[in-house]
Amino acid sequence: MNRALVVLLPLLAVALAFVAGCLIDLSHARVRNLPKWAWAVIICISIPWGGLAYLIFGRDWTGRGAPVPPPATVPGAPGPRVPRRAPADPMVIEVDRLTKRFGPVTAVDGLSFAVRPGTVTGFLGPNGAGKTTTLRVILGLDAPTVGTALVGGRRYQEFVRPLHEVGSLLDATALPAGRAAWFHLLALAQSNGIGKRRVMEVLELTGLETVADRRTGEFSLGMKQRLGIAAALLAEPPVLLLDEPVNGLDPEGIRWIRQLLRAMAADGRTILVSSHLMSEMAQTADHLIIVGRGRLLADTSTADFVSGTGQDVRVLSPRAGELASLLMATGAAVTPEDDGGLAVTGMDAAAVGDLAASHGIAVHELMARHASLEEAYLALTGASTDNRAGSVPAGMAVR
Amino acid sequence: MTVAQLQAAGRPVPSRAVRARDVLASEWTKLRSLRSNRLTLAIAVVVTLVLTAVVAETFASAPGAGNHPASIDRLAGSFLAYAEYTVLPVTVLSVLVFTSEYASGLIRTTFSAVPRRGTVLAAKAAVTGAAALVVGEVLAFACFFLTQAILSGGHGGLSLAHPGALRAVLAAGFTLAACALVGVGAGAVIRHTAGAIAAAVTVVYLLAVLCLALPAPWNIRLGRFTLPYAAYAEVTGHPPAGLLSPWLSLLVLIGWPAAALLAAAAVLTRRDV
Repeated sequence: MNRALVVLLPLLAVALAFVAGCLIDLSHARVRNLPKWAWAVIICISIPWGGLAYLIFGRDWTGRGAPVPPPATVPGAPGPRVPRRAPADPMVIEVDRLTKRFGPVTAVDGLSFAVRPGTVTGFLGPNGAGKTTTLRVILGLDAPTVGTALVGGRRYQEFVRPLHEVGSLLDATALPAGRAAWFHLLALAQSNGIGKRRVMEVLELTGLETVADRRTGEFSLGMKQRLGIAAALLAEPPVLLLDEPVNGLDPEGIRWIRQLLRAMAADGRTILVSSHLMSEMAQTADHLIIVGRGRLLADTSTADFVSGTGQDVRVLSPRAGELASLLMATGAAVTPEDDGGLAVTGMDAAAVGDLAASHGIAVHELMARHASLEEAYLALTGASTDNRAGSVPAGMAVR
Repeated sequence: MTVAQLQAAGRPVPSRAVRARDVLASEWTKLRSLRSNRLTLAIAVVVTLVLTAVVAETFASAPGAGNHPASIDRLAGSFLAYAEYTVLPVTVLSVLVFTSEYASGLIRTTFSAVPRRGTVLAAKAAVTGAAALVVGEVLAFACFFLTQAILSGGHGGLSLAHPGALRAVLAAGFTLAACALVGVGAGAVIRHTAGAIAAAVTVVYLLAVLCLALPAPWNIRLGRFTLPYAAYAEVTGHPPAGLLSPWLSLLVLIGWPAAALLAAAAVLTRRDV
């Protein structure tokens, strides 16, 4: 409402001034002997621009504006630059019963989770699961249909200088193609009262200082990702939201991001990284939030997720039937496989080998198997994938 | 509440004025750091000045011009080239202020850095409008003096002291700012470059052309509320019957950009980005 007032009042003033001006004009009054063109100039230039100036410089309508205290000096002990200082106040991201509909499409459906400081949290889900929509709602870009998304207990729109609270990278390719990287970052920094020196620092941090004066349209995808990370780190925020940050990065770049995220998390920051690749997240994230079709599928630590995945022992023997009954007698579960092998669960490979040896049964193959994280993830999200590829036609089957 | 919380956390809370100045500085950096902006503007200025000289030469050499100085509008004639070769490119550049950010997705970065979208709109409008006003006034004076210097070779040009001359020059400059703000508003409302340019050009030119096609009393009756007619009423020394007074025309010149910006403010704050 305040915003509407701030826009409307100057315009109302302009309108009133012109009604008054027109009345003076119509009555042919000579006000203080000023020629009409002088009045025209005064009104023409002063009122609309005065209105805009008021809009911009005017006192805070709510009377909440406070004088700026002198900036606190940060004791600058030179050390590792990432991260330079710990966040002033660690913040939790809380998404509560969030639903977002776009017309008939429900992108996010009653999603609730919390992201805690000090960990890297992976936000996983197949394409179209609602990850990006959720991040947009957290950033105040999209209004939720139902529910809330709070950062540190506040709506994003309430932040006075949000880059100091939340650093975000939604789409690395969303760059002004005609503007040099330096000016892109500078404009972003200026909008939140961040100085030029810090812009230079993040350019060095991301290894872009030599290409700072090149236009972003000339950048490779990897350089764009680095520039996006640089923008997210501008104000050293206590919260980082990154959407698919490793897309387009080379292995060295991926390792760099991983180390950066770990260092920032170790520093007590709250880090939410989205991805559709389980293998990537398994190496980076401490905690996983897995979504599918806008719903929460899993909210678990990465270690729990890994240990929860199945593991078994494959054994191939010419006397498989005999071995199977021996194994079952010791309490293990045995499933025959297509090629005559046995899948054994409830017993490790060494015990299976010992058992076979003690009964003089030859073993041709003995292997401990872990279901890959990727498989567990696919099993979890498979049912909720929007556009699953159809089954492979028989003629094209690889086997 | 939020400010109190921030103060409790020991974080400096900048006043609204400081924040607004930051956003203004940011938008000014964006405007000046695009090479295409500078290039387009430079070309527009050169073309305008050259064509203004050509128009003035044509006037000066028109048969009978010396005998009937009133037969051609020496004042409005100064701005013929300016009205097209400056106003059109500047309007298009102003449309791009918003639509280029929407096209690239940069608008999300902008709005996540400054969640008060009204402030972003105001800053973009202020920076673009101020730049257009400066360029417009400088060019309007240049066009006026250039034209009158060339005319003075033939049958005597006007001086700034001529009745209505200063008003005409200042209003011509202001018209550029008005058109630029129409462009900014149209870009924010429509978001797509092609559509927004079409809308802005419709307001800035085409409505007047449409009105020209109407039957006799209605062409002026409706046309006088369009931007080109209003601008013409400001700059001409010999207004045709039926045009609004310069005062009311000024209201029209401000009304269109005000309407565009108001629509933009209403739409920006309600829409998902």
